Amino acid sequence: MRNRWGQLALHAVLICILTLTLAPFVFVITNSMRTNSEMNHAFFGLPKFGRQMFDGYAYAWEVLRPYTLNTMLVCIVTGGGVVLVGSVSAYVFSRCKFKGRDTLFLAVLAFMMIPGVLTLVPSFLWVKKLGLLNSHWVLILPYLAGGQVFAIFLFKSFFDGLPGELFESARMDGAGHLKLYWSVVLPLSKSVIAVVGIVNILGTWNNFLWPFITNSDAKYHVISSGLYLMNQSNVSSNFATMFAAYVLASIPLLILFLYATKPFMQGVTSGAFKA
Amino acid sequence: MSIKRQKLVSTAAIYAMLTPTFGLLAVFSLVPFVWAFVTSFFDYEVGGESRFVGFDNYLEYLHDPTLLPSFGNLLFLTVFGLLIVSTVPLAVAKLIFSLKSEKARYLYRVLFLIPIVVPGVAGMMIWQGMIYNDTGLLNETLRMLGREDLTRGWLSDPRTVLWAVVFMGFPFAGGINILIYYAGLAGISESIHEAAELDGARGLMKFLKIDVPLVMSQIKLLTILTVIGTVQGFEGMFILTKGGPGFKTMVPGLWMYMNAFSFQRMGYACAIGVLLFLLILSLTILNMRYFRSSEELKAESA
Repeated sequence: MRNRWGQLALHAVLICILTLTLAPFVFVITNSMRTNSEMNHAFFGLPKFGRQMFDGYAYAWEVLRPYTLNTMLVCIVTGGGVVLVGSVSAYVFSRCKFKGRDTLFLAVLAFMMIPGVLTLVPSFLWVKKLGLLNSHWVLILPYLAGGQVFAIFLFKSFFDGLPGELFESARMDGAGHLKLYWSVVLPLSKSVIAVVGIVNILGTWNNFLWPFITNSDAKYHVISSGLYLMNQSNVSSNFATMFAAYVLASIPLLILFLYATKPFMQGVTSGAFKA
Repeated sequence: MSIKRQKLVSTAAIYAMLTPTFGLLAVFSLVPFVWAFVTSFFDYEVGGESRFVGFDNYLEYLHDPTLLPSFGNLLFLTVFGLLIVSTVPLAVAKLIFSLKSEKARYLYRVLFLIPIVVPGVAGMMIWQGMIYNDTGLLNETLRMLGREDLTRGWLSDPRTVLWAVVFMGFPFAGGINILIYYAGLAGISESIHEAAELDGARGLMKFLKIDVPLVMSQIKLLTILTVIGTVQGFEGMFILTKGGPGFKTMVPGLWMYMNAFSFQRMGYACAIGVLLFLLILSLTILNMRYFRSSEELKAESA
């Protein structure tokens, strides 16, 4: 009996915290369907049913569509590239023996110690010199360079943990490294791939400053910088449009999230995240 | 047999496979890293002359009017961030972990993870535009309660702005940290709990004496990440306050950004960046050295 009340109390506390956590987003959704005058009349309230509910969305989507496509392109290329480059290098570090292996691996890890705040300004000066400003590459290449380090770390510790017999028996069958990597290692690594891919896509999707300073041409804006500029423009006085924009900017990640929750949670819960 | 086969893959092939990694690191990480130090010794404006000035940029920063307020703010933000990250997500993870139903445990973890789909910039602007706004949630609630006198521009009033900034994201439970702690709690073996209960440990006491020491690895990780993130983070201030009113919410990173991209003083900005790097490096080393994770504690007591 005591136990059942205890469980109920746990649920009650958790639901309270959850409500507080999600409440702002619920308000964003309801208010994205209310006009300014409705909101001025009463902050708390439900949208009036009708076609005007979606006016904010129609306008916000018009502004955000090119930014969304840019972001998706950059996310897919970066995420795929990081998984590929990271897993190949991690495989080499984990399963091949060669001179200088440990030194090189440490050299890669050392790059984790370089904080973004140190390299923000010189990176900008450098890509400017390289003539990369206002392009997709100015986002993709630095993201790849930075994102692969953590990926190599995660992939290597996962590959190290795979049973050695697996490799032995595949080698007995005459499999080379390429075959081992492709048909033995990768199929076993789904949850690590999900973690690496999602962490990278989240990082790319959320990165605001770098795209903001490197792309002055509106053609190359991404969601984050686009939302910020929208908020700076005269659109921002129309609350419904801004709130609709926030909702629209979250939908692609929500879809990814629904699709990949399980492997992602398995990957994080496997205990790779500790110091 | 296996060693022989490994030899078949020539060293050249191995280096070829590592080329993308090292090529990208050299061009997009190493060059900016070195360049940061070099530029910090120059008086360099984009499009203008570049002149070697030795340590002048560093010396100038020591007398910068933002130095004291910005590092004071940084200290405040770090302490607040550490207090939060080591308590709220851990407590929520423990609450979820204590549920009997496996389904419910999974469901809560998923629901608390949902906020990560909202882009960071959008999250901040939601707090700015909907909660701290003149006609936002906070002021409207106060008006409803008849406390018009307490309403204010939360992000423009110098008395509240810093608190308004740190309370963004209240109740600080959404996101991946809960999962990280949950993984730690799930890794504690059942026998430890049973032994503790036999010794009469219960409730909060058991949580503090058993769970907390055993998730020290996770606490250590999140502590390091929080310190690093706070010292170099300034997006929030950039979006919400631009460091104002006055220098009330100025942080060193934002001042670096403004010097580079508003005042075109690249050398000075790089000097601030170098100082922040040294600060992060020493804090990380201190943390690694003196903060014992549970594995290290175990190794020491064995």
